[in-house]
Amino acid sequence: MTRSTFDDDPTLLVHAYLDGELDPVNALAFERRLATDPRLSAEYDRIESLQRLIRERLPREAPPPALRARIEAAVRPPRRRVQPSWRALAASIVLTAFVTGGSTWLALAPRPADVVENGIMAGHIRSLMAPQPIDIASSDRHTVKPWFNGRIPQAPRVVDLAKDGFPLVGGRLDVVARRPVPTLVYSHAKHLISLTAVPASDSGKAMPIARTIEGYNLVRWSEGGIVYWAVSDMSASDLERFAELFRTAPADQ
Amino acid sequence: MNVVHIHSKGQTSYGESRLQTRPGNGSHSAGQAQGDGQPLTGADDNTRFANLVLPHLGDAYSLARWLTANRADAEDVVQDACLRAFRAIASCAGGNPRAWLLTIVRHSAYNWLKKNRPAALVSVEDLEAAENAQVNPGDPEIETPESALIAKTDAAHLEAAIAELPTAFRETLVLRDVQGLDYREIAEVTGVPVGTVMSRLARARRRLIAKLGRSAS
Repeated sequence: MTRSTFDDDPTLLVHAYLDGELDPVNALAFERRLATDPRLSAEYDRIESLQRLIRERLPREAPPPALRARIEAAVRPPRRRVQPSWRALAASIVLTAFVTGGSTWLALAPRPADVVENGIMAGHIRSLMAPQPIDIASSDRHTVKPWFNGRIPQAPRVVDLAKDGFPLVGGRLDVVARRPVPTLVYSHAKHLISLTAVPASDSGKAMPIARTIEGYNLVRWSEGGIVYWAVSDMSASDLERFAELFRTAPADQ
Repeated sequence: MNVVHIHSKGQTSYGESRLQTRPGNGSHSAGQAQGDGQPLTGADDNTRFANLVLPHLGDAYSLARWLTANRADAEDVVQDACLRAFRAIASCAGGNPRAWLLTIVRHSAYNWLKKNRPAALVSVEDLEAAENAQVNPGDPEIETPESALIAKTDAAHLEAAIAELPTAFRETLVLRDVQGLDYREIAEVTGVPVGTVMSRLARARRRLIAKLGRSAS
């Protein structure tokens, strides 16, 4: 067997495992080892308690609003943009129309998937900047789901993942591709997840695929005529775990 | 040779990656984390700043506060970092703006520490040397309290115990357990290899656990 840092100090594995940094094969091997090694399992308990303690009890502090205002003022462009004169504007429109053909317009028009994706991302970013990321605040899915009834044709599927560490925060309506769609907001270790349910054109089922855009992690899957989009700034592995939990959670009672 | 591979994240893109399938080799650059993402906005610097930097102001302030141990100084550090970020916004590829901003915040905070709290940085180098000299990465003298004892710690003790950690350990712990960055992101922000992130994190947690055990008993 190959020697490694982990052989010298197997307790390092506990950290990597709890942080979601082990690949599935090694995670499985570790779980087997954990079951038979009391020293490892004691370390596991301690680190897990510490992580829970930090997550649940360490006070978090938002930056003072004045700081944000100061920074925004500091980066604001020094001069106001000069309004273009009508004559110049008209000339530029004529010139643009002359230079660019219809094909250029087509090439610049975003693909439909991008429109949805940009809408999802914009909704999430806007929610982080707004005073409230949600229109209806409740951790009770029996409050959140009915709120959507009457506002949109179909209320989304809402599941309770609080016991898995992803409590429901509430819901809001986002507008994606000019259509109002329901977004559920879950939290995890002070990070917010926006989960948007967009009606699909077909009822196909697609497994989750993940990607990163501008530093936000995104996981998309579809099921039962709905495309689900989960966006968050939490780590990709945590978001993928969330997607897995949501997908496999039992149906509404 | 390392038998355990760190799961590679942040490299996913449509069509190429399914959940939980690839054991990564952890050696590629973070710069390619995205690549095919459509920019959400035009090239306007202020819009880019509003989209890439401002959403992460909370994380920036939190890291600055843990590094400077002081609210007013943290505000100065964040403002300095944000102005640097604004000037460099065109060079932000958009792969991971949060890690990018935190790298700048850390840099500003270290400049501030160098000027105002040089002792905090001297001890980092000492720790580094001790870390390298130490054959056994475990800290045998550290006691190991029961997990039930840890769970009883109150917020003030926890905060004080984290604040007492040496800077290099404190920042690693804060980036992971408070801000939720993964190992590769922490390596990017703190400019050390993933292996060093792991050993610092383990030490930070062990010290913290020992400290909490002592103050609880």
